[in-house]
Amino acid sequence: MGVRRRIGAVGAVVGLVVLPCAAPAQAQSPITLRVAITQQVDSLNPFLSITQAGTEVGRLMYDYLTAYSQADQRPVEGVADEWESSDDKLTWTFHVPDGKKWSDGKPVTAKDVAFTYNLMMRDPVAATANGSFTAEFDSVTATDDRTVVIRTKAPQATMLALDIPIVPEHVWSAVQNIGEYQNEAVPVVGSGPFVLTEYRANEFIRLTANKDYWRGAPKYDELVFTYYKTVDAAAQALSRGEVDLVNRMGPAQFDSLKGKEGITLNKANGRRFNEIVINPGAATKTGEPIGDGHPALKDVVVRRAIAQAIDLDEIIEKVNGGYAQRGTGLIPPVFPDFHLDKPNPERVYDPAAANKALDDTGYRRNAEGTRVSPEGRELELRLIGHASRAYDEQTGEFVKRFLADIGIVVDVQIVSDNQLNESTTAGTFDLAFSGWGTNPDPESILSLHTCAQRPNADGKGGTTDTFFCDAEYDALYAQQKAEFDLAKRSEIVKRMQQRFYDQVPSVVLGYDNALEAYRSDKFAGFPLQPEKGGVIMAQNGVWGYYGATPTDNAGRSSSGGSTALVIGGGAGALVVLVGGAWLVSRRRGASAGERE
Amino acid sequence: MIGHLARKLGGALASLVFVVVLGFFLFRVIPGDPVVAMTRGRPVGSAQIADLRARLGLDKSLGEQFLDYLVNAARGDLGTSYVYNRPVADLIGERLWPTVLLVGTATALAVVVGLWLGIRGAWRRGSRFDRVSTGVALTQWAMPTFWLGMLLSMATGDLFPTGGMRYPDTPPDFLSQSLDVAHHMVLPVITMVAVVYAQYLLVMRSSLLEEMHADYLVTARAKGLRDDLVRRRHAVPNALLPTVTLVFLHLGLVVSGAITVETVFSWPGLGLLTYEALTGPDLPLLQGTFVVLAGAVITMNVLADLVYRVLDPRVRAA
Amino acid sequence: MTAIVWERRRAAAWATWREFASHRGGLVGLLGLGAIALLALLAPLLTDQTGLDVTRAPGRPFEPPSGEFWLGTDNTGRSVLLLTWWGTRVSLVVGLSATVLSVLIGTLVGVAAAHFGGWTSALLMRFTDFFLVLPSLVLAIALSTVLPRGLGTIVLAIGATSWPATARLVRAQTLAVEARPFIERAKALGGGHAHVIGKHVLPAVLPLVFVNTTLTVAGAIIAESTLSFLGLGDPTQISWGSMLHAANVHGAVSQRAWWFLVPPGLGVVLVVLAFTMCGRALETVLNPRLKGER
Repeated sequence: MGVRRRIGAVGAVVGLVVLPCAAPAQAQSPITLRVAITQQVDSLNPFLSITQAGTEVGRLMYDYLTAYSQADQRPVEGVADEWESSDDKLTWTFHVPDGKKWSDGKPVTAKDVAFTYNLMMRDPVAATANGSFTAEFDSVTATDDRTVVIRTKAPQATMLALDIPIVPEHVWSAVQNIGEYQNEAVPVVGSGPFVLTEYRANEFIRLTANKDYWRGAPKYDELVFTYYKTVDAAAQALSRGEVDLVNRMGPAQFDSLKGKEGITLNKANGRRFNEIVINPGAATKTGEPIGDGHPALKDVVVRRAIAQAIDLDEIIEKVNGGYAQRGTGLIPPVFPDFHLDKPNPERVYDPAAANKALDDTGYRRNAEGTRVSPEGRELELRLIGHASRAYDEQTGEFVKRFLADIGIVVDVQIVSDNQLNESTTAGTFDLAFSGWGTNPDPESILSLHTCAQRPNADGKGGTTDTFFCDAEYDALYAQQKAEFDLAKRSEIVKRMQQRFYDQVPSVVLGYDNALEAYRSDKFAGFPLQPEKGGVIMAQNGVWGYYGATPTDNAGRSSSGGSTALVIGGGAGALVVLVGGAWLVSRRRGASAGERE
Repeated sequence: MIGHLARKLGGALASLVFVVVLGFFLFRVIPGDPVVAMTRGRPVGSAQIADLRARLGLDKSLGEQFLDYLVNAARGDLGTSYVYNRPVADLIGERLWPTVLLVGTATALAVVVGLWLGIRGAWRRGSRFDRVSTGVALTQWAMPTFWLGMLLSMATGDLFPTGGMRYPDTPPDFLSQSLDVAHHMVLPVITMVAVVYAQYLLVMRSSLLEEMHADYLVTARAKGLRDDLVRRRHAVPNALLPTVTLVFLHLGLVVSGAITVETVFSWPGLGLLTYEALTGPDLPLLQGTFVVLAGAVITMNVLADLVYRVLDPRVRAA
Repeated sequence: MTAIVWERRRAAAWATWREFASHRGGLVGLLGLGAIALLALLAPLLTDQTGLDVTRAPGRPFEPPSGEFWLGTDNTGRSVLLLTWWGTRVSLVVGLSATVLSVLIGTLVGVAAAHFGGWTSALLMRFTDFFLVLPSLVLAIALSTVLPRGLGTIVLAIGATSWPATARLVRAQTLAVEARPFIERAKALGGGHAHVIGKHVLPAVLPLVFVNTTLTVAGAIIAESTLSFLGLGDPTQISWGSMLHAANVHGAVSQRAWWFLVPPGLGVVLVVLAFTMCGRALETVLNPRLKGER
């Protein structure tokens, strides 16, 4: 029975101690920018990190060889400040200026660059995340501390867009096994505007401003990424003041923050697009047909009719809540150099015209109103979507209705991402949802639709998105690859997209807006990239974080801090006290009973 | 006793082996090439794909893969997560303690609350207290855990954090940190307790009712001993034992609760890890959490059985 | 002779019903279930199904309750009342089918384990014990991740993980029945396995199985909502679980859209509670040991 009394006493003592202690928990804190992230930071090892959140932390810690300007995403100084290429575009020379330092004070040299790239070329594990950039490298040598020379096997358009964090040789040369190195020994030596100083997996990541950064010190002290499981939770955290910056919001969360005091919204042009891939007759590299796509979809007339019968505006209005732009080509408007703004000829939503086109080419309706191909097969199509994306499910219903209007029956199948990948790789689909995030350089997104991306004879190894194989598109693709003049390349890229648009291997539905919000009572402003309609987070760079300007209020702890702590402490104490009191009362009752 | 022990341990071992085997085959049935899943959305060359396949051991036959898996599992190596590119065992180790803290606190509270209400209900069966407490318990038992969690988080507004385990800007000293964690724990713990305690209440109540009809209690009361005393000295301790054992037997229920509660409140534990693994889907990770959670429950069961035998003289004699 | 047997059974059933009816909780549960089932059946007659089509949603997203939408609208602008109403159908069908599957497996395994004895029994019981301790949600999650998405998978995942309790119960009851002298007699008279099980064991075990069924349904409905909530359900089917999933994904909590969150959850609570109350009342009636306790 003595134990019980002791527990009761401990409970009471804890309760008494807890309450007064909660208040002084508020200390003089550094000025911190607190950012909510909803995506996993998969790894702090920049050679392994793949997710957006992970690569973004990598960008903050390490400079790349070159950076993308804030205003218009053109190449600007990174680790290197000057560069030149040979006439055949096979040899590139980069100059690494004097004076840039790693966070431990050692100088950044051309040797670090050569070390990083050579490591990726030598060790396939180090090539996990960014191997595609160095796959065509022939050699990388540092001729002296200031000069690095890269030779490639073929001309490479991404030489000023090498998204590879440059790591310090004096730290990483000691790493035995890249695959097992977590890079968590804080402070992590880097060259970026911030230094990683604390990492708690799945809770938060703390970075401290690099006061010696060559571009100038950030205007605040700490940058903290806090992990939230859902965007919804992140949006709530922002409205409570637990965090200062949130992105990737859905229309619902974005609208719910409208008009709230101290919060400013940023509706930006996103880098993502959504599309419905139409199986144009899947085949391998050798032209051997695979899969079981509906044969009528090989007919461009049918593909065009489908595209014409889908009302993009209604989908954007109802599914995207208005936060998207009409789809045309493969490159979103956020990259105006390459975006196909006005297709010519342009398709407009016109089910009557689509019906007429199908009527004219011999796709007659049967008794139920379903169209039948001239070969006698009914136009019943499967549309597969990702179970992980609510967008697919909702849009699927709209597409089903739109296509019913032109006599095409659609069976919407929502499957796991794995199954969807399997079906699209094997060509066992008719229509499928897909979507891509794009880079400033259009190379990789354009390559997805070339003949060469189709799978090998065994049906494996393909990375095609659409099974599209078109001589004209491929010719233009080769042309733009060798074109280093921006204006001319832009022209070719737009022609490619026009061809893609006309042939309709997929219908680009729209470009999602990136929906962000921040506490404008704590931070006055964030540099957007690009300047017009740009984003704060998920930039091609870290201008948003680096250039954030705190207001006078920023240093103060928010409602998320000490007040809540007091309440929490109080609640905890209450639980303990009630428990303690109960035990004590039980004890009394017991002794009273026994005494009789 | 020794024979029983051996049989129990043998059975548990068989179950564990079965879980490990099931873990392998269950996640090999799934259609889809893991390498495609891993590289989707990134430009990769075929050399890189081949390399990945070799690293994951996917180029071997199913039999060889199974052998590798068994040998590795025996060494505590549960494979490498697709998403994190890290050993699954490390990830699980990292997330174990938050779950133990949350589930431990919630179970302890649920046991206390459940037993107390159960005892009171049984003692005054049919009273208004009994009817109300049983009714409330049944209603709470009928609630999906995650729903209750979402409602609580909506209803309490700004009083408690939206999720996670601590604020990054809390001072690093022990007291502030513990308070912060306690603050974050309030809602998840209440949610779990609310749903779980009903079970304990009902079991305690009915086993006490059964106990009170036992001959020795009738005799004790006939001897003129006070009801209070009879209850405290004889009935409750005897009814308590099977109930506490049941607490362990029903750990599976608590694990289910942990998955949904951690998901709702972003609590960085094994439950949330399971959820993340299944949204990937990150098959090695899902396989790892499956094996570990199932293994933990089996182990706890054996322990409960042993403790029960040590504590209860009636069973020990048998 | 059969007439007498029938007469006796009818009388027994009547007595059971009268006793059941004397439990207020059980009666309330039964009435509630009847009402809910009726509403679910009548949904196509009383409501307009086109309101479920997202492409023809009548309202704006997240409208609070009003004269037009008594329970407000969901994230697509559909009436939450209508969705909850229709959701009853899928939730009940999934719950009941999963229960049938679970009880079927459980009864088969239980009777077999008790009746055949020896190695069969030992093996079956080992198997049952294994599944009994396995955390069922974890296994159900694994199953529904691995199998193609759909209602069938959910039913299978729940059914395949919730049978062990039934199996144990049935085994115990079967053992008790088979210990009685008349089974011995039947066996001596040349009754085969089928005869003994079909004519004697099953009729004696079924009432208990029935009680167990009502309690299993309750569990199955919660399991359905949990799996759907975790995103493992069929999103093209409207069930309470998929509604809660949508509410979670589309930010009902941050929008404070209680009208989207409360109705489907309340549906689950009511149905589960009704089944539990029926089950408890039946348990008391059919299990004499508990008589007079409640």
